[in-house]
Amino acid sequence: MLYALLCYNFESVVGCWSKEKDDAVMAKHAAVAQEFAARGKLGPVARLMPTTTAVTVRAGPEPLVVDGPFAETKEQLLGFYVFDCAELEEAIEAARSLLEETGALEIRPIAAFYPGTGLK
Amino acid sequence: MNGGRTSKGRENAVLYAILCYHDEAEVGAWPKAKDDAVIAKRRLVTDKLAANGKLGPVARLMPTTAATTVRSGREPVVIDGPFAETKEQLLGFYVVDCAALEEAIETARQMGREESGMFEVRPIRYFAPGSGAT
Repeated sequence: MLYALLCYNFESVVGCWSKEKDDAVMAKHAAVAQEFAARGKLGPVARLMPTTTAVTVRAGPEPLVVDGPFAETKEQLLGFYVFDCAELEEAIEAARSLLEETGALEIRPIAAFYPGTGLK
Repeated sequence: MNGGRTSKGRENAVLYAILCYHDEAEVGAWPKAKDDAVIAKRRLVTDKLAANGKLGPVARLMPTTAATTVRSGREPVVIDGPFAETKEQLLGFYVVDCAALEEAIETARQMGREESGMFEVRPIRYFAPGSGAT
């Protein structure tokens, strides 16, 4: 079963991390991802730019374009992983390993997945 | 975040995530014909990108009723349910390779025409395609 791990954190906190701290977090994340990659169980991984760079398009007869993210939440969606896990418990364990002092990870089973073509 | 040895990541400013938010009660109530029609319409948009090698991964998520949240702390807490209770829920995402923000916005516009819901377009800071999970 494929699971999306949606990473939420205070972008104000993450944006203030020193390069050393950011690098340390990335290295920790890489170690977790590596375990999945080694077994061919790692899907795409993305780290998003802050919500200050977001643009929202509201659907409708003539879609409206608005600067800013969809939702003003206390913590922001800052990235995601796709993992292939035998069961939910394995995804929860991965989420535990990815956590920092702040933030939360939402685990959501994936209903349909397409790996895409061509991006390298 | 890093894809690891087998999937070298990249840092750039031309990949965009298109995050799809929609009222999941409404989407869940769509008859199969409506759901199929929406998917077919979206595919017309993404097929053009795919033909140019500009389409990254696409995922449709299960409803937030299937979500589990793990919150940080000295001993992380596992909670049933999604991270955020919003009127519209994150139901999926696209990763697209666009020359400029305007192209990503245009893609979202085409997906959203004559529909409901919202699309948040966000540049990707780091991306790794992964290895093997299908």
